[in-house]
Amino acid sequence: MLVLFSLNLMVCLINKFSLKNRSLGSSLAHSSILIILLGALIGILFAQKDYVIIRKGQAINSFIYRGKNIPLGFSIRLNDFIYNENIDVKEKLLVYSGERSEKDVCNIDFAKKAENAKGLLAKISVNPGSPQEIADTGYKIKVLRYVADFVMDTSTKEVLSRSAEPNNPALEVELIDPQGKAKNAWIFARFPDIHQGISTDFQIRYNWAPRRPKDFISKVTILKDNQEVLNRDIQVNAPLNFAGYNFFQSGYDSQNLSWTGLQVVRDPGVPVIYAGFILLIVGLVMIFYVGPLTLKG
Amino acid sequence: MSVAYLNFSFGVYFASMIFYAGSLFFKNKIFSILARFFIICAALGLSIHIGIRWQAALRPPLSNMFESLVVFAWAIAVFIIFMDLKYKIKVINALTALMGLLALGYAALLDKEIAPLMPALRSNWLTFHVLTCFIGYAALTVAFVASLIILFKKEASQNLDNISHKLIALGFLFLTLGIISGSVWANSAWGTYWSWDPKETWSLITWFIYAIYLHARLRKGWRGKKAAWLSVIGFLAMLFTYFGVSYLFSGLHSYSQ
Repeated sequence: MLVLFSLNLMVCLINKFSLKNRSLGSSLAHSSILIILLGALIGILFAQKDYVIIRKGQAINSFIYRGKNIPLGFSIRLNDFIYNENIDVKEKLLVYSGERSEKDVCNIDFAKKAENAKGLLAKISVNPGSPQEIADTGYKIKVLRYVADFVMDTSTKEVLSRSAEPNNPALEVELIDPQGKAKNAWIFARFPDIHQGISTDFQIRYNWAPRRPKDFISKVTILKDNQEVLNRDIQVNAPLNFAGYNFFQSGYDSQNLSWTGLQVVRDPGVPVIYAGFILLIVGLVMIFYVGPLTLKG
Repeated sequence: MSVAYLNFSFGVYFASMIFYAGSLFFKNKIFSILARFFIICAALGLSIHIGIRWQAALRPPLSNMFESLVVFAWAIAVFIIFMDLKYKIKVINALTALMGLLALGYAALLDKEIAPLMPALRSNWLTFHVLTCFIGYAALTVAFVASLIILFKKEASQNLDNISHKLIALGFLFLTLGIISGSVWANSAWGTYWSWDPKETWSLITWFIYAIYLHARLRKGWRGKKAAWLSVIGFLAMLFTYFGVSYLFSGLHSYSQ
């Protein structure tokens, strides 16, 4: 269909040239559409693209397009993959005085009720960082670590995140008493009643809210003949271009963040299409605004 | 704070529409003067609202349905000021103000919370792409209003026809810029300049309808009601591109809900 459309447009254009009554703007605008379609055709015929998965520490030096193995001429290694999230303003640690016995499940409604309830001493930001004061009690609390999907290795007692999905969000906190003694504990958003044993003076609730993706960063190295040539971060909206190949951030391992998905593209039609875009804009401006001016003059 | 400016803009926008409508029935000059004053206030109020939100969000406020509707209403207000200064056709101004009010009224029903930008939207192309699209949409909306008046009038009006044509030419140029900037942005974010996503496809359909309008005028000499019908069809396609696609289909533009 696009081919027929191009043919039709071409015939009309040639007709118009023979009539010799068309403006330059009109000719530019119409040829620009042919140029854009030509660029698309070049893409269909000569572009090579693939979605590749690279694991941390591994490198690839070729990809597969239409069943054929295409060598890159260099290799690209994933050093690390970084996934950052935006913390919602509603996500807070709520610290209550210890006398109260709150049995509610921790959710947004609970947070609203609790706000009005007696005993709320402080709302603590969940960003890991420096210790924050709990009102005027002399105590301080420090957020050490966030895990989205809490799991503890039963033999080593090491805490890990089973996946990047928020199945069991938990925060590790450090409570520092007025004498400077510190105690650590894990606070669970989904299980607020798990015995904390950190202090009888306080009850700490973790009010979790859905987090949104902030950054997907692939830290990669380009290697040529086993020599490191280039270290770069690939992000959405910030692809890497090397030796005619473009690498776009387009997927990740939502379970373990152990690999990155990159779109590899080499499309010689793109510059042609961009040239067509520029001609189209110039042509339209000439038809609508420059043409009428010259007629008046 | 930014909500106060939004409410203020809504009030003066409404007052402006009433006074434009009033100036149709009363000869007193004070009506049109006040209408012009109020629409300038509305454009300023919306500019301040957008500015404050921009500062609060640390990014251009152009990322969801609420934010785009406000920008749409702002662009329409700017076009009304321009139309008032250049053509002074009160019925166009009154009806266009109504369109802007509808956009603002709809925006008022939506969630106004400032959400952080998702990675795909964090690009310098965001401002250019959204602004060109909505300047185009605003021009085509005013053209739609002019075309509607042509359809309802018994006698032909060369003036309205010319205005409609000029606005469609401008709207078409900005629609082209919007589609092209979207395409270049998609290529730098995902490595593909066109993926037949519903928003892309419908914007192309809208573009073709207005291209037919421009060619029908030039080649077949369509004027008046015949051309006005094409303008109305184009506007409906534009509305579908903006609202219909956002709510009916999921795709690359799904965040614009």
